[in-house]
Amino acid sequence: MIRLLKIEFKKVANNKTFWILMGLYALILGTIFFGIQSVINEMMIDAGKKAPIPVTKITLYDFPGIWQNLTYVAGYFKIILAIVVIIFITNEYSYRTIRQNIITGLSRWDFLLSKLLMILLISAAATMFLFIIGLILGFTNTPEVTLSMMFINLTFVFTYFLELFAFMLFALFLGILTKRSGLTIGLLFLYFYIIEKYIYYKLPDGWGDYLPLRSIGNLIDIPNTSLMKIFGLNFRTFVSIEDVIVVFVYSFLFIYLMQLTLKKSDL
Amino acid sequence: MVIDKLTKRYGKLKAVDELSITIEKGNIYGILGPNGSGKTTTLGIVLDAINATSGSFKWFGETPTKAIRKRVGAILETPVFYPYMSAVKNLEIIADIKEVSYNQIPEVLKIVDLTARKNSKFRTYSLGMKQRLAIAAALIGNPEVLIFDEPTNGLDPQGIAEIRNLIKKIANDGLTIVLASHLLDEVQKVCTHVVVLEKGKKLFAGKVDELLGSSILVEIAGPEMDKIEAVLNKSEFVSKIYRDDKMFIVELKTGLDSSAINKSLVEQGVTISHISLRKKSLENYFLELLAESHDKTS
Repeated sequence: MIRLLKIEFKKVANNKTFWILMGLYALILGTIFFGIQSVINEMMIDAGKKAPIPVTKITLYDFPGIWQNLTYVAGYFKIILAIVVIIFITNEYSYRTIRQNIITGLSRWDFLLSKLLMILLISAAATMFLFIIGLILGFTNTPEVTLSMMFINLTFVFTYFLELFAFMLFALFLGILTKRSGLTIGLLFLYFYIIEKYIYYKLPDGWGDYLPLRSIGNLIDIPNTSLMKIFGLNFRTFVSIEDVIVVFVYSFLFIYLMQLTLKKSDL
Repeated sequence: MVIDKLTKRYGKLKAVDELSITIEKGNIYGILGPNGSGKTTTLGIVLDAINATSGSFKWFGETPTKAIRKRVGAILETPVFYPYMSAVKNLEIIADIKEVSYNQIPEVLKIVDLTARKNSKFRTYSLGMKQRLAIAAALIGNPEVLIFDEPTNGLDPQGIAEIRNLIKKIANDGLTIVLASHLLDEVQKVCTHVVVLEKGKKLFAGKVDELLGSSILVEIAGPEMDKIEAVLNKSEFVSKIYRDDKMFIVELKTGLDSSAINKSLVEQGVTISHISLRKKSLENYFLELLAESHDKTS
């Protein structure tokens, strides 16, 4: 396992594209996390001037609410990580290094496992990044910090990890199916933003929530803010076990299908 | 390595057709065949890159596993490496996969004369350097068997000579080598054994010496070619006659030499201006084998 991860890490560590995309991801998230509160508050103050009832300033960074706020916002940018995964799996096909890896002495399962481990590692690193930023913002913005406040909502952080992992698995699966980077990235966008949404509206009520990317997106619901309360909206403030199970089922399905595809294909 | 009735179909096409080959330890095998005869497909199957439709193969008497592939060094078709990584980093990945230490890397780089460029990215390499790096990669982990598929493809004459010498040098160490090529000359110069493939079928398998040493070719030319031909056609010493541009190439029956044919020509009063022995090349045999197989099928 360690050996496979080492091989995989060597492949990406020497690649500029990898670091540029990962840096971009960190930069975007960092900027948004550190900047979004003041932007929203300015909007709120603006809105408050015209509103009949006074609008309170919102705080995104209070423990424990911060965890859901940050993980929800960060969820929108997981597509960048999916693109990294797609580039790396399809490179193996276009360079034909997947074939050479097998000839040299990896089994097909080893090859898949090394990619899965890499996805795990990327998910863990991205989660850790979010966790550290969360701690910094939480400490500087929460008036009185207690230990239980800090950790009470950490399920969102673990769920975020699952969200990233499952989403990247889907990207890996598409990459192994089509073997071409441009095509795969195009397919991912098309499916994510158009096809699945279309199917969602065509399906009977409730069924659409079981679609693969929809269910991954459902893991962390929109955080409730004071603004939403004004409009009488109330979103889920916890992670539903049912959603987690659905995502796990999809994850195993993707891994199984990838394994089957690799086993049957001539490289 | 034993290959038993291996078949690979691509739709209707049979790329490999019930092929059985035995590769014995310590020999250098040439796998010959025109482009598309199933050489790379066969090697791809025994290296687990391609799934066979039917048939089986064994390495070292065992059913193949990934552990067995670690005892084999192989390059299939073009050299394959990560273009954005240096030679050393690429070889480190090979060593990691084979689960051997990096100690060998400087040594193999020296063998293929790439030490000076070891930190350059693979994509900056010339084709000859890429081929040499592929050979270096195949040597990592002290394999018992080396498989080279078209190792001189696309190289200039100097590059071809370099690779050839390299393979000969490696062969002297007593390794088993399988060399797939469509270049007959290459196989003749390097290999001890030869397997000839066409359309996925085995046409011939045996020693190169046996193949070449079985009979003698004589070139004959003279002012009156018609008369020479008449004599040759009647001669009991001759097994085959080919007409070249300016001469006949005559294959003598086993055990005879050129003096017999010379004598009978003189006795018939036919003057000849040129008679000389020609060492039979693999090329003649190869073309013959292919011609025979076409005769059979047509």
